[in-house]
Amino acid sequence: MTAQTSSAPIVRMVGIKKHFDGVKALNGLSLDLYPGEVHCIVGENGAGKSTLIKVLTGAHQPNEGQIFIDGTEYPMMTAALSKKLGIGVVYQENLFVPWMNAVENIFVGQEISDYSLIRLSEEYRRAAELIDSLGLSLKLNQMVANMSVSDQQFLKIIKAISQNPRILIMDEPTSMFNTKDAGKVLDLVRRISSQGVGVIYISHFLKEVRQIADRITVIRDGKSINVYDNSSRDTDLDRVVSDMVGRSASLFYEKEQYETGDLALEIDALKVSPTAEPVSFQVNRGEILGVAGMVGAGRTEIANAIFGAARKHGGRVLYNGREITIKSPRDSIRHKIAYITEDRQRLGLNMEASIVENLTEVGMQTILPGFFIRIRKLVPLVRGIIDELKIKISSPMMAAKNLSGGNQQKVVLGKWLFSDSEIFIFDEPTRGIDVNSKAEFYRIMTGLAKQGKIILMISSDMPELVSISDRVMVISKGKVVKILEKDEISENSIIRYALEVHTA
Amino acid sequence: MMKQIDSRHWEKKSLRDIVTDQRVILFAVLVCMGFVVTLLNNRFIRINNIILIFQQISVVGTITMCMSLLMLGGEVDLSVGNIMMLSGCTMAVLIVGNGKGIEGGMSPWLAVLVGLGVGVACGLINGIITAKSKCPSLIVTLGLSSVYYGIALILTNGRVMSFKRAFDPINETRFFGIIPLTLVVLLVLVVIMFIVVNHTKYGRRVVAIGGNPENARLCGINVDLNKIVTFSIAGLYCGIAAIIYSSRLDSMSAGSGSGYEVSALTGAIIGGVTFSGGKGSISGAFLGALFIGVLSNAMDVLAIQTYTQTVIKGVIIVAAIVISNLNKMKKK
Repeated sequence: MTAQTSSAPIVRMVGIKKHFDGVKALNGLSLDLYPGEVHCIVGENGAGKSTLIKVLTGAHQPNEGQIFIDGTEYPMMTAALSKKLGIGVVYQENLFVPWMNAVENIFVGQEISDYSLIRLSEEYRRAAELIDSLGLSLKLNQMVANMSVSDQQFLKIIKAISQNPRILIMDEPTSMFNTKDAGKVLDLVRRISSQGVGVIYISHFLKEVRQIADRITVIRDGKSINVYDNSSRDTDLDRVVSDMVGRSASLFYEKEQYETGDLALEIDALKVSPTAEPVSFQVNRGEILGVAGMVGAGRTEIANAIFGAARKHGGRVLYNGREITIKSPRDSIRHKIAYITEDRQRLGLNMEASIVENLTEVGMQTILPGFFIRIRKLVPLVRGIIDELKIKISSPMMAAKNLSGGNQQKVVLGKWLFSDSEIFIFDEPTRGIDVNSKAEFYRIMTGLAKQGKIILMISSDMPELVSISDRVMVISKGKVVKILEKDEISENSIIRYALEVHTA
Repeated sequence: MMKQIDSRHWEKKSLRDIVTDQRVILFAVLVCMGFVVTLLNNRFIRINNIILIFQQISVVGTITMCMSLLMLGGEVDLSVGNIMMLSGCTMAVLIVGNGKGIEGGMSPWLAVLVGLGVGVACGLINGIITAKSKCPSLIVTLGLSSVYYGIALILTNGRVMSFKRAFDPINETRFFGIIPLTLVVLLVLVVIMFIVVNHTKYGRRVVAIGGNPENARLCGINVDLNKIVTFSIAGLYCGIAAIIYSSRLDSMSAGSGSGYEVSALTGAIIGGVTFSGGKGSISGAFLGALFIGVLSNAMDVLAIQTYTQTVIKGVIIVAAIVISNLNKMKKK
């Protein structure tokens, strides 16, 4: 760690606060970065990592706090300014022009030209130089759309490096790679930092972080909890994990205890892509199976494949011991599977339509007889559900968009109750809804389980997973890493398996 | 030029890539069609007929070029036909007068400049409204199209305007006694557009915006300005198309521009330019425009009834769009 002692920090962020509609994404976060240093940021889903990047790159303005670059304070960071100051970003998502080749993509927005005519050969030469200097092999004239996923990831890094950044932010750079290519990325990061570039490295993979970090900062609830010096690459990952979790008991929900029934749903060797690891698990009648994992671990993909919203590349779904064929959401609905998606506003509700119309959207096709529909006649049919779920409304004819988040989520669920579903797949059921609605939603979910329904609950909310689930299945990189039994479930155990540090 | 690049960094095109390139397929279809039609009636292959084909597509070809530029940038302009007519009618009125306040008598050179200016101005309006309102250009230009049409009606008082042979020199000029000026102009416009798209900073940014607007914004590209420039260039091309149109027909009316936007879209789509933006090429779009020209001409040569021709053209448009989307269908 000579870099740290011998020079001044290039980035210093002090007491950064950022709220979104009252939710504190960053709550007084401080961070510094030295030239030539790899500074890793770790934290749970929603700890504030992405917001941190957006504040530093000028995509979001912080509500409070100061940002210093090279000792100068920049009170108004903008995207253009951060670029000018030499801040480069390797984003997690793929930001490319698919029908341009590698070279053209590298130079988008910074083309090499004479009198605005592009100097193609110069661009090719420079791109080849960059690729060689990073020890990579990429075909310069290959369309991005035809590239392998890992080549696209490398191209992202090359593109960021082509702008000669002094500060490089890397957001989950290895999440799309297999182990061999991930190792290559780590080599790249070392190479880049050895040229004096300060690297802010965000990752879920703690073992990888320990291999590469000079310092590790753990953030939780928008604050930096601890900074570890990892210059000898031997930080105790157990301590990092306990820093990441650790919440007050008041956040947990008291769940009513009852016996679960017999095996009802069996997923056998399901593959979400031709190359994916097969996924198998079983759920009993009346059981809530929590599905944990870091964002991008592949949980939603599994749910999509079960429900038929995405293609299955192998595997079987058995219900009550009989195989059921699901090729589309229509098949799923026929087999009484409900899918309560994460993005309720976009995928779960018709925001402009009334509550009655939303509640009967699925049942309309399966339950209601006849050809003609009169919405007013449907009102008495949905009364029961509105009362049962305690959906707060002024009239069943009001538009869904006028409801609060919690009530909207109840309408989504009500839609599936109305169509007599038996199997419920929830994806982040309580994201973005207030504490009281959450508790109520948990009451409803346990109620469903008690009636013998089968529940799969994908969640990133630790207290929720711990208190509601009968068992927790942990997913990492598309694989089932572990299924935790009731007495094994704890925040700590879930995180350890999700980050794959259980063997460390 | 690319010889200095190490072969390690160079992907050799496989035969499969070449054969499945939409432009190659289109070219092969063109050749086959020419061959078959020639067998049926050898008048088709005569040099005069070939030149006629190019003359016939000179207007729609020009418009296809600017439509392709817009589509590469993820936009579309449904007012191109009416911009062309407004621009042309302006020229006509300035030269021969409209009998209702405008005397005419302006020198054709000056009138052409004003007409081109009108084209650019229309494009500018399309661009500014689309870029700043963030509304889809499909809707914006559909509405504005009617505005331009209306203004052209007012200008011409709804009559067919004759240029009194002012543009005849353009139509009659032939290089080497055989190659018409309009053909050369079309080819020059194609080459210019090709260079703009493939070899200028501006053109590459157009494609970058069409291919992934969020990426373009994060790469520091001024997306709005780029769009406004693109629409203005389209307006300029429409103005030039108006000159070619009037030189060939010597007359112009406010309504005669309708249908050109659809023909231009068709040509571009057949040539592999996509509606969603960022994908396609100018060379492909030109081949697409040429394809439509050859098809119409061949059907004329074979004396197929006009009504039947319309049906055949429609079928080919749909077929071309479906074929170009085959890959996507397989992926689902």
